[in-house]
Amino acid sequence: MNPLRRRLLIAAPMSLVAARARARVDYPPVAAPLELAFPRDHGSHPAFRTEWWYATGWTRDEDGVERGVQVTFFRNRPGIAERSQSAFAPRELLFAHAAVADPAVGRLVHDQRAARAGFGLAQASTATTDVRIDDWTFALDGDTYVAHVPAREFTLALRYRATQAVLLQGTGGVSRKGPRPAQTSAYYSRPHLAIEGTITSDGRRRRVRGVAWLDHEWSSDYLADQASGWDWIGVPLDDGGALMAYRIRDPGGGTYWAGGAIRDAAGTTRILGPDGVEFRPGRRWRSPRTGVDYPVAFVVRTGDLEVTLDPLMDDQELDARASVGIVYWEGAVVARVAGRAIGRGYLELAGYARPLRL
Amino acid sequence: MNAAPVLRAVSGGALGADRGRLALAVAAIALGVALGYAIHTVNRTAVAEFSTGVATLAGRADLVIRGPADGFDEAIYPRIARTAGVAVASPVVEADARLPGRTESLRLIGVDAFRAAAVTPALVGESDAALDLLEPDRVFLAPAAAAWLGLADGATLALQSGTGIVEFVVAGRVGAPAGRRLAVVDIAALQDAFGRRGRLTRIDVRIAPGAPPAGVRAAIAAALPPGVVVSAPDEEADIAARMTRAYRVNLDVLALVALFTGSLLVFTTQALSVARRRTSFALLRTLGLPRNRLAAIVAAEGAAIGAAGGVAGVAIGHALALALTRIVGADLGAGFFRGTAPMPAFSAGWALAYVGAGTAAAIAGAWLPAREAARAAPAAALKAGDDESAYARLARPWPGLACLAGALGLVGLPPVDGLPLAGYAAIALLLVGTLLLRPRLARGVLASVPRPRRVVAALALDSLRAAPAQAGVSLAAIVAAVALAVSMAIMVASFRTSLADWLDRVLPADVYLRAGGASSTAWIDAEARAALAGLPGVRRATFLRSVSIVPVAGDAPVTLLARDLDPARAGDALVLVDEGPLPAAGATPAWISEAWADRTGAKPGDTFELPLAGRRARFGVAGVFRDYARQTGAIVVERTDYGRLTGDDRASDAALWLAPGASAADVRAAIEARFGDGRLTVATAGEVRAVSLAIFDRTFAVTWVLEAAAIGIGLAGLSASFGALSLARRREFGVLRHLGMTRGELGAMLAWEGALVGGAGLSIGAALGGLIAVILVHVVNRQSFRWSMDLHLPAAELAAFGLAMVALAALTARASARRATATDAVAAVKDDW
Amino acid sequence: MIELVQVARRWPGPPPRPLFDGVSLTVARGELVAIVGESGSGKSTLLNLIAGLDTPDRGRVLVDGADLARLDDDARTRLRRERLGFVFQAFHVLPYLTVGQNVALPLALAGIGDTGTRVHAALAAVGLADRAHSRPRELSGGELQRVAIARALVHEPAVVLADEPTGNLDPRTATTVLALFGDVTRRRGAATVMATHSRAAARIADRVLALTPDGLVPADAQ
Repeated sequence: MNPLRRRLLIAAPMSLVAARARARVDYPPVAAPLELAFPRDHGSHPAFRTEWWYATGWTRDEDGVERGVQVTFFRNRPGIAERSQSAFAPRELLFAHAAVADPAVGRLVHDQRAARAGFGLAQASTATTDVRIDDWTFALDGDTYVAHVPAREFTLALRYRATQAVLLQGTGGVSRKGPRPAQTSAYYSRPHLAIEGTITSDGRRRRVRGVAWLDHEWSSDYLADQASGWDWIGVPLDDGGALMAYRIRDPGGGTYWAGGAIRDAAGTTRILGPDGVEFRPGRRWRSPRTGVDYPVAFVVRTGDLEVTLDPLMDDQELDARASVGIVYWEGAVVARVAGRAIGRGYLELAGYARPLRL
Repeated sequence: MNAAPVLRAVSGGALGADRGRLALAVAAIALGVALGYAIHTVNRTAVAEFSTGVATLAGRADLVIRGPADGFDEAIYPRIARTAGVAVASPVVEADARLPGRTESLRLIGVDAFRAAAVTPALVGESDAALDLLEPDRVFLAPAAAAWLGLADGATLALQSGTGIVEFVVAGRVGAPAGRRLAVVDIAALQDAFGRRGRLTRIDVRIAPGAPPAGVRAAIAAALPPGVVVSAPDEEADIAARMTRAYRVNLDVLALVALFTGSLLVFTTQALSVARRRTSFALLRTLGLPRNRLAAIVAAEGAAIGAAGGVAGVAIGHALALALTRIVGADLGAGFFRGTAPMPAFSAGWALAYVGAGTAAAIAGAWLPAREAARAAPAAALKAGDDESAYARLARPWPGLACLAGALGLVGLPPVDGLPLAGYAAIALLLVGTLLLRPRLARGVLASVPRPRRVVAALALDSLRAAPAQAGVSLAAIVAAVALAVSMAIMVASFRTSLADWLDRVLPADVYLRAGGASSTAWIDAEARAALAGLPGVRRATFLRSVSIVPVAGDAPVTLLARDLDPARAGDALVLVDEGPLPAAGATPAWISEAWADRTGAKPGDTFELPLAGRRARFGVAGVFRDYARQTGAIVVERTDYGRLTGDDRASDAALWLAPGASAADVRAAIEARFGDGRLTVATAGEVRAVSLAIFDRTFAVTWVLEAAAIGIGLAGLSASFGALSLARRREFGVLRHLGMTRGELGAMLAWEGALVGGAGLSIGAALGGLIAVILVHVVNRQSFRWSMDLHLPAAELAAFGLAMVALAALTARASARRATATDAVAAVKDDW
Repeated sequence: MIELVQVARRWPGPPPRPLFDGVSLTVARGELVAIVGESGSGKSTLLNLIAGLDTPDRGRVLVDGADLARLDDDARTRLRRERLGFVFQAFHVLPYLTVGQNVALPLALAGIGDTGTRVHAALAAVGLADRAHSRPRELSGGELQRVAIARALVHEPAVVLADEPTGNLDPRTATTVLALFGDVTRRRGAATVMATHSRAAARIADRVLALTPDGLVPADAQ
């Protein structure tokens, strides 16, 4: 069966909702002040429309081979069957992606899951980070996130140990996504998580170590109607700092909104507004599978820093149509300033295949 | 010896003069093959389509978990999903959605699209708005359902829930196999809308690659409560196919019978043809044609007839299969495959097989005459004399008697794998044995007829008596045809009468209501029950809940009927054939149907267990009743007991007794007013009876076609033989004309001969048919369907049939001899033959 | 009695050829006429014309006063059954009836039920009174021809036609049968026409005529 037919969009139906003007639930907006209390706010926030726990990182195995690893869990409140009393009511939908970027393979090896929450088989705990879809799990145990992802072509058994404080994005965790007050998300990052564990693929189990970046974000109104996608980078810097920058794009390719954060090794954080971030696309790559054109190299100006991004490999396109219904590019990149590498992180390019609706 | 002139010498004569009879024989074989091929093709198509449908719906499922029709606890689902080796478990709730105002329901399937996509993709709807798959008011229709309901995307679909209505919006299509009338909704939506919270009817399981299937299956089975079973999808198709197998085999056998009568016609044709060519054969033998060669050529003539008839028969049969599917349905009226409309596909292999069958049947028919042609002593045959000696060899009694004895022995044997093979074999032996004894029987029957006073009749009788073997050839097809027609008529009459009597006794109330079966979305709850009992004009109301249960994994289901009945007077509500004392405390009283008693060997006083509501409940047999409605068995318990054991408070049916003076029409109107139009199917006892009998008649319509075909072939045989024989009797006719017999009187004499042969055939055939009917009623049907019937002779019908047969035989004989009687009497007399 | 007036007939063929023309004949009751001629001259045809089994191209045929041309097929058949008797060369005794039943046939066809006495009388006249219940296959050729004669006479016909009555018999039997035939027919007073190519047979006749294409001419009996 054509997997295209099995789409379950978390994004697209929203505009249709607006178009049909059907009565929907009232999603609460993310409003300041956001009094985050951990570990509770490491967990899920079911009242909001969308939420994700996004872990990206670079690993190196015993042979010195470097690979990018991505583990993501999404939660969506579709606003359906809210009054249902059935244990199957699709009040909460869970999705997960996992991908390994191995230059020897030349393209992403990835897998995805989708399920409705219920029966303990798929759930997102509200107590702390503890998400599972069947046998894919991502849970916070003290200060270590434990991921167990038995995918189709690989198995990840990784521990991500927090080595630094939480980085609140935006203003106290309230990150702006557009000019209007309601266009916000609650957003914090955990850079410099120490990866330790195994990646099993091609019948071989390899011990790996590395550094990861985790984003936990939730929102009810992420993308404005005038926006079509975003570009995002998250780089744990080699000196112990952290760099995050993003821009929301409009359909013409220009910037609708932008923002970012730089934290130095000492922990001082500078939050950047739309003027502080500039994304200049560089070399482009066209996907042979989907025909989509991605700018896989960028120069990103954050504050005064001009950061050049080069991908670990060009083909890091992730076809997630069977779960969340979108195709995007999520790739491991090396960040350089003036030719000198300052860190290894991830670049995310969303909305290049089709305008996103979130 | 050069082949071509020899063939021309031997067979050329046959082609020339016997053309009409040859065509008849070809047609008879064609008819037999056509019927057999059509029935077989329709059956094969239906079963294949059903299996394919099951397979397609099963998708990639390796195992299917099922429970009773009203579902099982959904808490089993996570247990199964977590079982080691299970890759995906897809929970499903199925219901038969009642459409207000319609009698047929829509199969509604509730799935979790996420899970179903990985296991049974055919059950995931197609829509651009993916959220529609989760929306509680969205439904996806299979193409056949959309066509049947006449609904396009965006239209509203109203379905009955309980006695209320729930509305859905058609959001798109689902790619179910063609012909299935089903619709898909979200599983939560189905549970909410139709009161099935907390229950599933099915879990489809895909095993992880590399996991041992047997081990996973065992682990799953261990986690299931009583009444919930795990099986492989094709096993389901097997069970369904097995349920219909007896019926299908019955039809196949009937078709074989038609082929058999065709074979008889070939026998008649060849026997007469050989007799006619006796002298030329003798000449050829004298000139040096070897015996076996001659026999082989005669047999080959038969084969040619069979092959020609077979090819024509397959072509006709295919067209017939298409027509039957379109008109009667793929289940040939049995009601097993509802809502499916597969079109028969042509299969070269089977077509060839049936052509072969036709050829074989024809060779079988031509074998005896071929042997006779080989055996005849040339010298005797060269002298013109009476033809009777040509048929004399057919009169040995031993083979015939052996067949009859064999039939007697087979009658008592039990079924083989659920099929009454011994019964069928007994019938076949009876037929063959009677046909082998035909000349002796003919002689006996003709000897017992008093010599009539009218000269033409007397001459007819004398002529027949003097040549019993010749008469026997004419008789063959008639006897077979009459036997078959009479036996079928008696069987159907017995069945129908038994059914009608049974209906009278199981429909004691005045008005019957039905909401739906256990898997229906319609039911009668406590409030509705009170309302019904309180309607004006209603003196008394009783209720019934019907649930289908799988007693043992891999077995066919049995229907549990929970009724309001008084255990001490169960005979008021049930047609009891055996009764015992009520069981002691600890076992719930239950009454079992004959089919169930046959299946399990249970009798009054025995106890048994059934899985109910996830537990094993203990029942004691208080009686056995006759039930024509459920072939796999039925068990009756008191409704209060059932409610106590399961907590299920819903009723599916109600029976109302009217107060004196109240009219059914008024009560009907009151029901419609109270519950709305079409929510409950209401019928008076008379209407239920009429509909049931109509279904019966429709189911057996096929047999009438076969009977008519058999009669046609019998008359064709008579016509063929009379035509042939009368040509040989030209001399005799000439003499009679010289002596002063008018043409009309000559025709009358032949009509008398036809009537006498027809009458003899009728009496032998009727006796045989009666015996076969007894076997059909007491052995074949009993063993196939586990129904007991009382033998009932439709005397008026049979008498009318008998008169018609005799009359037709007379007319046929007279018509077929027309050519001979028209011949110039002068020329006939001068004939040197 | 029999009367033929200028009867003509041709052989329908193929190919058609004329048989005879201008045949006139009168046969009185009790008279025995023999018609002789070569094979193929039309003797049997002439008998068939008298019997009403064939119609002449020209001329009239009257049997016992009835003009055959005015009668339809059924009427002629009835005439045959009541007033004609036939003896064939090949006997044509029905094998599935007894001797007595064979002899009774003309009576049965005429609807007369009680045949016992007359059958017995007819059989007695041909000397086979005790064979009434025998089957034809038990009788010799001569006996069978005598049965045929009895059958031809049992209903006391006005006309008897015989077509080569001794053709299938050996000379001795033929003589006996012929004598019997002449005797019985005269005694019964039938107008008898016998077609034969045997001079011996012709000798028992009162008149012998030869059939030529131009009609009947007296023939010499030798």
